[in-house]
Formats: sequence, structure tokens, C-alpha cells
Amino acid sequence: MLKPSTLAMILAGGRVDELGVLTHYRPKSAVPFGGFARVIDFPLSNLMCSGIELIAILSQYRSYSLINHIGTGAAWDMIGRYRGISILPPFKDYENPHWYRGSADAVYQNLDFVRYHDPAEILVLSGDHIYHMDYREMIRYHYSQDADLTAAFIRVDRQEASRFGIAEIEGDDPQGGRLLSYEEKPARPRDRWASLTVLCFRPKVLYEVLAENQKQDSYEFGRDIIPMMMEKQYRVFGYKFRGYWGYTRTVDEYWQTSMDLLGEHPRIDMEKWGLRTNLEHRNIRDCQPLKIGAHGLLDNSMAYNGCIVDGTVRNSILFPGVRVAKGAEVHNSVLFFNNTVKEGASLCRVVSDVNTVFGRNARVGVAGVDGPGKVTVIGWNNRVPAGITIGSGCTVAPRIAPESWPAEGLADLEVLQ
Amino acid sequence: MREARDALVLLLAGGIGSRLNILVGHRAKPAVPFGGLYRIIDFSLSNVMNSGLTRVGVLTQYKPLSLMRHIGTGAAWDFTGRTRGVKILPPRTGEKDSDWYQGTADAIRQNIDFIQANPSEQVVILSGDHIYQMDFDAMLEYHRHKEADITIGMMVVPKSEIHQFGAGIVDSENRIVGWEEKPREPKTNLASMGIYVFDTGYLLKTLARDRQEIDFGMHIIPRAIEQDRVFAYPFYGYWRDVGTIQSYWQTNMDIIAEHSEISPEEWGIRTNIEADGRPMDRAPARFLSGCDVSSSMVSAGCIIEGTVVNSVLSPGVHVRKGAVVRDAVIFEDSVIAENAVVDLAICDKRVRIGRNVVVGAGGDRGVANREYPKHLYTGITLIGKMAEIPDGLRIGRNCIVRPQRGGTDFAGVERLEDGASL
Repeated sequence: MLKPSTLAMILAGGRVDELGVLTHYRPKSAVPFGGFARVIDFPLSNLMCSGIELIAILSQYRSYSLINHIGTGAAWDMIGRYRGISILPPFKDYENPHWYRGSADAVYQNLDFVRYHDPAEILVLSGDHIYHMDYREMIRYHYSQDADLTAAFIRVDRQEASRFGIAEIEGDDPQGGRLLSYEEKPARPRDRWASLTVLCFRPKVLYEVLAENQKQDSYEFGRDIIPMMMEKQYRVFGYKFRGYWGYTRTVDEYWQTSMDLLGEHPRIDMEKWGLRTNLEHRNIRDCQPLKIGAHGLLDNSMAYNGCIVDGTVRNSILFPGVRVAKGAEVHNSVLFFNNTVKEGASLCRVVSDVNTVFGRNARVGVAGVDGPGKVTVIGWNNRVPAGITIGSGCTVAPRIAPESWPAEGLADLEVLQ
Repeated sequence: MREARDALVLLLAGGIGSRLNILVGHRAKPAVPFGGLYRIIDFSLSNVMNSGLTRVGVLTQYKPLSLMRHIGTGAAWDFTGRTRGVKILPPRTGEKDSDWYQGTADAIRQNIDFIQANPSEQVVILSGDHIYQMDFDAMLEYHRHKEADITIGMMVVPKSEIHQFGAGIVDSENRIVGWEEKPREPKTNLASMGIYVFDTGYLLKTLARDRQEIDFGMHIIPRAIEQDRVFAYPFYGYWRDVGTIQSYWQTNMDIIAEHSEISPEEWGIRTNIEADGRPMDRAPARFLSGCDVSSSMVSAGCIIEGTVVNSVLSPGVHVRKGAVVRDAVIFEDSVIAENAVVDLAICDKRVRIGRNVVVGAGGDRGVANREYPKHLYTGITLIGKMAEIPDGLRIGRNCIVRPQRGGTDFAGVERLEDGASL
């Protein structure tokens, strides 16, 4: 049978408030990651490597960046007779006047699309996480257990567990087991298995539970659908995932996860993972190789084509088009596309969004600190004035007008709107 | 908005370029990698695209497969669409024409049907061998303004180099009044860049005149300046013929120079990143702790643990701990193993330089290659595609290691002396 049997639906609509200025103009899934890619490239590349080539992306918040990034889908080989990526935006019709009211509602509103493709199994994925997984192994497990729903879980530290959907999994089979309980963000977690939001459904059951869920007033897979299925005694299984899982819900976490790209044996090895991105997006395919000047220094860092480095770069990640001038210092930072760091400027623990210019001798973040310290985040299209001092843990909104920068700079943790 | 009237472009990409030695062992000269990510022909093709010209024929002859794969559909240069296109024009056998291309003019003559099938006012004839940026639309405008039959792109070169070129003598209107092909005793320093604009009707008439006229520089041009309106179009920018190992290496080095005159990105040079599977589909370059890189170009997918100075690295090159790469051009996916030294060399794709190998260091740059003294005489050593240099070997200056040498080919060899070949 030539037609694909799996339909994957990626939840890519969310904004994630904690990421602040990085998601002012794009959904979380379109946030740049890894020196050239976007967060959603991770699930998309996982799907490609798993041979799953029929994809729907549920998109709502500021979808332009995402639509632009997906393009034709050719970057992930998802273009062909039976292969493709469909972007499903919210819509109005006779019956439905709503935006997507939650992840489960988004899928429910597109059930006609799903039914048309008549898949044998439906994979529902979050577009927000950094991980490498072969979904086929989980789908095989799903069939071996004759499950209605199989959800992937990973062990997390107990003190972190209350941030996630937490399950108790029956028995100690290394592959997984039946779910004994499931609670979304429990105050007192009963176990340490956290949901990855990688869900494999039996389609008939998914249709039933989504219809049932419409009677309620909350429409989330984690908060509503999984608990409802537990209650109604559906066959819900947990699949134990043991690989790397990068969580990027806050700016500090985003920074920490980015640092996992560095080192001799990086925990996130994009080359090994087979990560692909759309090189047409921002035309990064047309960049020339990275140019390192006579005074340039790159140490424990990562940089893509199109950068020009004549200053010092340590423990940092440079996206295409970043310029670091002679005498400038960039430490422990992530600089998105087309940032410019001018002579004498010094950056430490900074995440800076696209097209920002750091003026001469600007000091951003606390230099020389390698221990814990908050990350300073700069929104896009800013011109950070020459000579300014900005502390650690600061937030600068996008496009600050030249006259709005305070002459005395920003103290630690200050916010400039 | 540009208003390039749609001239037809014919790109001569058939030359062997034999002075590039093993770099053209399995590819035509225009397909030789250049500047980390590019191939030589990308410069001509991108100039065509950036000039707003949309119909191109590429005349191939010598080992065209690599070139054809690289050009692909032409989408990389925006040559796909309803009226756009790039066509590969290999030599063909026909009722009368059953021969290889004999020369530049002969190659164009054998494709008269292509010129007739693509009506145009002018035909632009280019070579695919040069590194430069030029606006052919401006040259076409000049050609029309001068009401020329032929316009030739020309530039001033040092008198010592003029013997490699066609040389023109011009009057105050830039009309060419004298022509010398590769003169020993030059009367002028104005050299032809091998870039011609012909009025299409004039070109067809000229080619039909005499089948013995097989070369533009030798036959067509000298005769035309006697009888017709032939003008020089002066060019003042950076232009290099990368036809020798020395000039190929030097031109690569020119990109990384501090105040470089070449910037492929600023020039709008495009390449086809899909050609060899997934060359650009690679993660950003990684620089590990303790590495030392300066005055170099490094492409995506490289991993640098050692030292890289004054070098151009294509995607996927791995320089391991303690290794030193200096004054070198390294093609895709080559590995320089621990503590090896590569000094003044060009390594083709997927070369492996073993541990503690020394390429070039310490030898005498003046000892030319014994087999090809005219190709290698400045100290540059060539390592052929997929060669595997065993651990600890010493290779001198001006050496050649042919493609795919490895293992038993090196049995009993402890060192390659300056000027030796394997």
C-alpha cells in the first residue's frame, strides 16, 4: 500500500508568554534554535527520519513566520504524490465562530481533514521541544499493546515534576506500561514520568473523545483529554523515552538548552540527528562561508555561514549573518540572524533576537561570570546605544525608539518596554 | 526596475583546463569547487542572473557530468519558469556535423539551431572559467549605444601577462583597430576577457561565412575589425582567470584577505546546494575548546579542534586536535587527523590526511614537480579526491598524490620528496 498510514498533527499555535520578547512576532515553534534552524525543525526532522510524511500543522498565533518557514515542505522531503505538509489555520463557518480554544479544539475543528485522509493511526505532537525520536518504535509499541492512546514519557527530577503532565506507569517493563494515573502539573507529583506531548491515538477513539470534550469548557490534550480517557477506562499506555529532551519554556531554559549544542560531545548533535531546516527561509542558502578575520577567535562555539568574526566569541552560538567586530567580545550568548556587535562591545549571557546592533563599547549582561546568572534577552530590530551598560536578567522589548534608551542603562532584572 | 532586453547567453564550459591537473581529473574546469561553497561556473551564471538575463545555453564537452549535475534544473539561478531556462548543449552528431567542438567559434556554430530557436537581438558569449562580477546588461546597453557588431569585454593587465590573452588596440572611441592573439611582444596592455556581445544577425552571418574559422580570438575577431564595427567594453573590477594551480590558489586566498576585493555574498553569487546530495544541509560549523582559527573561511558542517590559518574550508571538513592547516584549500568532507600538518596544499573532496602526516612543511618551494614542472612550481602540493594518506608520511612541496591513492599504494613509501608524484 503506497498511501501513508500515519497522519501527524503538530501543535504549533502557541505563543508561550514566558519566552517574552522572543515570541512577540512569532509562535514558539518558529523560534530560532541551533544556529540556523527553528524549534519546529526538530519534530519535522524526526518525522522525516521516521518515514512519516503526511503532516498537518495547527497554527494560530502570528503564523506568518511559521508558514514562511515551512514553505513547500520540500526541505523535509514532504512533497510528492502522497507526501505533504498542510498548514491548518483557524477558520469560521456556520457552526463554529471560535479561534482554536485549545490544542484538542484545534484538532476537533479539523476533523474533516483528518477523516478525509483516513489514517490508521494519528500522531499528535508538540512543535515546541528539542529532541530526537524515532516515532516508529512508539507506534509499534502502540500496536503491540492494542492501545487506544500511547503517550511518550521521560524521567525528570522530582522537584521539576510539577511543571509537567505526570504519569504513573504500571510495572517496570523498560518499554513502557499501562498508565495508572495522569495529572497535569500536579502540586504533589506521584511519580517522575513527564509527558513529552507525543501522543499516538487510535483514530476512532480520538474522534469519540474529541466530540465528548466539546461539552466541556477546556480543550487541552494534557489537561482534559488524557484524564478523561483514564476515567473512561480507555486503553492508555505510557511509552518510556530515554533520549535527550530539551525544554525551552523560559528564556533561561532556552539558553540552557542552547548550551547543550556545544562541547566536544554535544548532547544535541544536529548532524547525527539528521536535522533539516528550510534553507530558503531568510535565504540562508545564499550565505558565503563563515569568515574569520586575523583577530577572530572562536572557542567552544558554533557559527553558520554568512557570519564575519574578527572579535572574540566563546561558548556562544551565532546564526547566519552575525558580525562580531575586532575588539568585541561575545560570551555565553546566542545571537540570532543578522546581529552586529561593534568594536569594544561586550556581551555575556545574552539572547538577542534578529537584526539587533550592539553599539561600540556597549556592555550587556555581566561579564566574566560563568556561574548562575540570569540571561538578558533583547528583542528584535534594536539599536543598543554605544557605551550603554545593561545588567543581567534584563528584558528589552523589540524596536525600542532611540530616545527611549535610558542614559544610565539598565540595572539587573530591569525591563525596557 | 531593470529593463534587460532579453539577449541569449551562450556559456562556453567545455575547456579541459588541463593546467589545473588532478583537480580536473573527473570534472570540467567550470565545475571545480571554489571559495568553500561555490564552483567556478557559479560566478558566470550568477552574473547572468543578476544582469536580468534569463535564457542560457551551456556548451559542454569535457567530462560534463559533474557540471550537468551542478546546473540541474537551473533553479538555483532562477532560470526556471515559462520563458526562462538553462539548456546543456553537448556536442552532437548530425547529418553534417559529426565532430567534437574544434574551438570557441566552432562550438557556437554547431549550435546555430539553438540560437535560431531562441530569437534574440544580441547573443552574449561567455566563458565559465573566471572569477569576477560584471553587469552584462550595462555591456549590452553600451553595445547598442555604439551600434557595434561585436563588443568585447576588455581590461588592462600588466604587460608581463598579456601573452596569455587576446590583446586589442583601441582608438579614442574605444573602437578596436588592432588585434593580436597571445602576442609575444605586446603593443598594448588591453586584454580580452573572453566576453563577447554579438548582434545576433551579424553572428549568424559571420559563422556561416567560413567553416575554417573555428576560434573567435584567432579568426573571427581579427577579420571583423578590418571590416566591421568592433568595440572594447572596458572593465575595471576584480577579474581572475583561475586556469592555473597558482592563480586558482591565489584567488581563493584573495577572498580571505583582510580588505578583500571578492565577496561572493555581496556579489550575489548563487550556487546549487542540492547538487551533490546534501552539501549545505549541514549544521553550523563547530569550534571546540582550544582550537585556533584566523584569517580563514569555514563552511557549515566543519568541526575544528586544531589550528586553521589562512585557509578556505568547504563543508564538512574535520580538523582534529593538534592538526595544523595553513595556506590551504580543503574541499568537502576531508579529514585532517590528529597532529597532522597541511601547509600550502589543495586537498580535493573526501581526502584523509593521517595522523602526524606532514604535507608541505619544511621543504623547498623552488623544486618544481618533476612530471608537471609548468603546473606546480610555487610550492603548492595537490592531494587528489578520496586519497588516504597513511599515518606519519611526509610529503614535500610541489607534490601530487593522485585521486584514490591509499593503503597499498603507499607500501614502502616513507616520504614523497619535493616535486614527486604518486
